[in-house]
Amino acid sequence: MSMSIYLGCIVRTLYPEVEKAVNEVLNRIGVSFEEPKGASCCAPLGLFSLSKDAWLRINERNMRLFQSNVLTACDNCFASLSDAFRIISEKNGVKVPEVKPFGKFMLEVLGEKEHGLSFKGLRCAVQHSCHLLRPNRDIDNAEDPRIVKSVLGRLGYFSIPYEGELDCCGGLLFEETISKMIVRRKTDELEKSGADCVVTTCSHCMHQLRRVSRLPVLHLAQLSALSMGANPREIGIPDTLLRRIVNL
Amino acid sequence: MISRLREKGAGDLLKCIQCGSCTSSCIVNTVYESFNPRRIIGSIVRFNKLPEQDPWLCSSCSKCVERCPQRVNPMSIIMALRMINYEDGNAFPSRVVEFVEQIKKSGLIFPLSKESNEKRRLLGLSELKIDEEGLNEVRKILSEAGF
Repeated sequence: MSMSIYLGCIVRTLYPEVEKAVNEVLNRIGVSFEEPKGASCCAPLGLFSLSKDAWLRINERNMRLFQSNVLTACDNCFASLSDAFRIISEKNGVKVPEVKPFGKFMLEVLGEKEHGLSFKGLRCAVQHSCHLLRPNRDIDNAEDPRIVKSVLGRLGYFSIPYEGELDCCGGLLFEETISKMIVRRKTDELEKSGADCVVTTCSHCMHQLRRVSRLPVLHLAQLSALSMGANPREIGIPDTLLRRIVNL
Repeated sequence: MISRLREKGAGDLLKCIQCGSCTSSCIVNTVYESFNPRRIIGSIVRFNKLPEQDPWLCSSCSKCVERCPQRVNPMSIIMALRMINYEDGNAFPSRVVEFVEQIKKSGLIFPLSKESNEKRRLLGLSELKIDEEGLNEVRKILSEAGF
């Protein structure tokens, strides 16, 4: 299998350890991949609600750079690219690449064969990303999302329920005071859950939650790579978390 | 005004029955009651008046889209209001301007810090740079859209 990867601005500029984790996962499961050097920001609709036309043209340009189906490491990028490609396909009748969010990709990969995973025992609270679930794109159940939890289970982690699981983290709000109020409300619930860490597949959520969370906030790629035997320090697993892991 | 909103993707907003499912699912309303999607739509469909509430306070979580029993798309109405505000010369958040300016500079919404660049090198990741030709394509699209 060969894929194009689209990691998104946040991972590429701020969290190289997540990029490393994605690379580790793909190498360990034997998927060849290329990241188009010239791809730009996908200009998510929240930001580009000023000009739908510019958003479409920017992603038409990105689309030309992909040689194969696209794996995203950010659910907001997933929503932006897949929505834009669908509109382009409907408008021009052209075949467009399939865009796959990281969680769904992992679920399919882990269903195919054994990957020599061992029980890790970490308790994870999942931050479900709004743009993966809504508006419904038939990826996961919008009111009872299962994908990330299923992947965590197969990788050897527990997922812990908590109040307000489906609530937004406020990461795409442009008004700072309200954005902070929303993220504090969210992290209060996450911290009350008894989880060891928060896990997400959206880099906007990760970036937003890390501003205030006392719990480590990780991308699913980091825990996937850890389960597959990657060097924990290279993929950014904090020491406090490493001490809690069974079968390191 | 309704046709202007429809042109901008607001959909069939007249189906709204003002039930309030959008407001009860709105995370912003939970922490800031003055932002009220039902009232935003009500102002348009009942009084044919542009709402006073700031459409930039929407978090774009789309719960209102998922939960509306009438299949009105409240978020797309709010997004259409952003576009109308912009066209009418009203202010929009300075962070949007910063993001657009950064995309013009590097193609990405955040600059690459020295620390991040060094970390990328240590982890053996490829250099993060969009070629000038590609960047110019992106700049052209943005400038043609008026940015």
